[in-house]
Amino acid sequence: MIELKNIKSHFPIFQHHPDLVYLDNAATTQKPQSVIDVISNFYKKENANIHRGIYPLAVSASQKYEAVRGKVAQFLNAKSADEIVYTSGTTASINLVAHSFLSPRLKQGDEVIISAMEHHANLIPWQMVCKKAGAHFRVIPMNEKGELDLAFFKTMLSRKVKLVAITHISNSLGTINPIEEMIDLAHQKDIPVLVDGAQSVAHYPIDLQALDVDFFTFSGHKIFGPTGIGILYGKKQYLNGMQPHQFGGDMIKNVTFESSIFADAPQRFEAGTTNIAGVIGLGAAIDFVNELDRNEVLVFLKEIENNLISKLLEINDLSIFGQAKNKSTIVSFSMKNIHPHDIATFLGAENIAVRAGHHCTQPVMDFFQIPATTRASFSIYNQAEEVDFFVEKIKEIKQFFG
Amino acid sequence: MNERLKGLYKTIILEHNKTPFFYKKNEEATYVLKAYNQICGDRFELYFEVRNGVIEDLTFHGFGCAISKASTSILVKNLKGKNFVKALLCCRQFLSVTNLERKNEKNLGEEFEAFSAAKEFPGRLKCATLAWDEMVVFLENGGQLRMDG
Repeated sequence: MIELKNIKSHFPIFQHHPDLVYLDNAATTQKPQSVIDVISNFYKKENANIHRGIYPLAVSASQKYEAVRGKVAQFLNAKSADEIVYTSGTTASINLVAHSFLSPRLKQGDEVIISAMEHHANLIPWQMVCKKAGAHFRVIPMNEKGELDLAFFKTMLSRKVKLVAITHISNSLGTINPIEEMIDLAHQKDIPVLVDGAQSVAHYPIDLQALDVDFFTFSGHKIFGPTGIGILYGKKQYLNGMQPHQFGGDMIKNVTFESSIFADAPQRFEAGTTNIAGVIGLGAAIDFVNELDRNEVLVFLKEIENNLISKLLEINDLSIFGQAKNKSTIVSFSMKNIHPHDIATFLGAENIAVRAGHHCTQPVMDFFQIPATTRASFSIYNQAEEVDFFVEKIKEIKQFFG
Repeated sequence: MNERLKGLYKTIILEHNKTPFFYKKNEEATYVLKAYNQICGDRFELYFEVRNGVIEDLTFHGFGCAISKASTSILVKNLKGKNFVKALLCCRQFLSVTNLERKNEKNLGEEFEAFSAAKEFPGRLKCATLAWDEMVVFLENGGQLRMDG
């Protein structure tokens, strides 16, 4: 078991940057030594392509690659490893569902529902597919706190709706959506649901069978793993009925010049040589998370969130965007007459890493009638004192530009 | 307060940010030039009144950070009253200050030189040059707006 109080020592970035206060975890997380080692060792000692060679190195690489599939399935409590597809990230996972699942089923006049707080990655793919089919693209509205209107959502559900795609946690507002209830409501009308878990999977335990969700997506790099690897979970009944989106090697049963028969899921979606080292790195990241007391993580992050929000709210002319009752440690804010980029530059010079901009959620910015926010997002290696340091610097910024 | 930051946010920049020159919309303008940075969302509109090749009136309005707002304020202050040739020369002088390979070490005055520290903040360089870059394109086209402008 890894204790939270010693956790920083597992992340080499903090040895190289001892003063770094890393508050950009919603963008990407830092990597523990174990993940870095496993990737480095794979290339140094174990590198071979998978699924083809029968020499020992190739067999071992294939076994390791497939073992991670089982590990991911277990981590998310999927029914079977066959329901886990490797992709390059959340964006690729969602695009795969849009093209291979939704597009062939969508007819003119059908509807697809997303929420008002979606990342562009869970918005544009559906928008494009709807346009092509002449289907309606509908949006669950939210209130000023950044909470979805569930009563309205209920009225949107009809036989015309072919998919509901919602984020578990908003990357710009921090809202934790009531996905259990939303999935349940959609299923009452036999509508499949995709949940974007990019912001939730690192901190919140996911039980796919209990959720009964139809598709679930996340990226390795937001759960302490490498970039360029992501997961699409899909119920077996859906995955095997989906046509591949990319064609090539390693995804077929039989090929002739006349026709090709595709492999079963998940291999049919993994054409070409995939990110093998990335998969193995993701496996190490999941091992790392499994070593944490996940309840301790949630309690710790809740304390950070409560402390941060109460201190920020004491500052005049500072507004927090997203104050949902159920919220994660992603905090977006703005300060009167001070631009988010000036705040981020100021904090950057103090070794505090935050993000400023629209966070790939322009419709959210439009809703609040702001061009951008500054966003601080916390994770397991942040310290309680870092909240005080951050708030102190925010006060200095106010004084400086005031 | 961090010394590097003091270099970037010089007093003159903070003053222009707080009380910019000629900061107003002009519905009667001959031209409206848009300076937009899609990466950060900074967006300024520059309103021109041009007579006989001279920029007789120039105002601006919009949203941006302290650096981009101050830089645009200094732009309108300096280009107002100039003909296109002199205006273009002035733009090139300003942009030489933020040019990483600057050779001309001649001091160009406090207002322009204030932006030289932006070179140490590569992420903020565009803030300093946003309106000036658009202005150069406009002037080099002989005062024609780009189709997407």
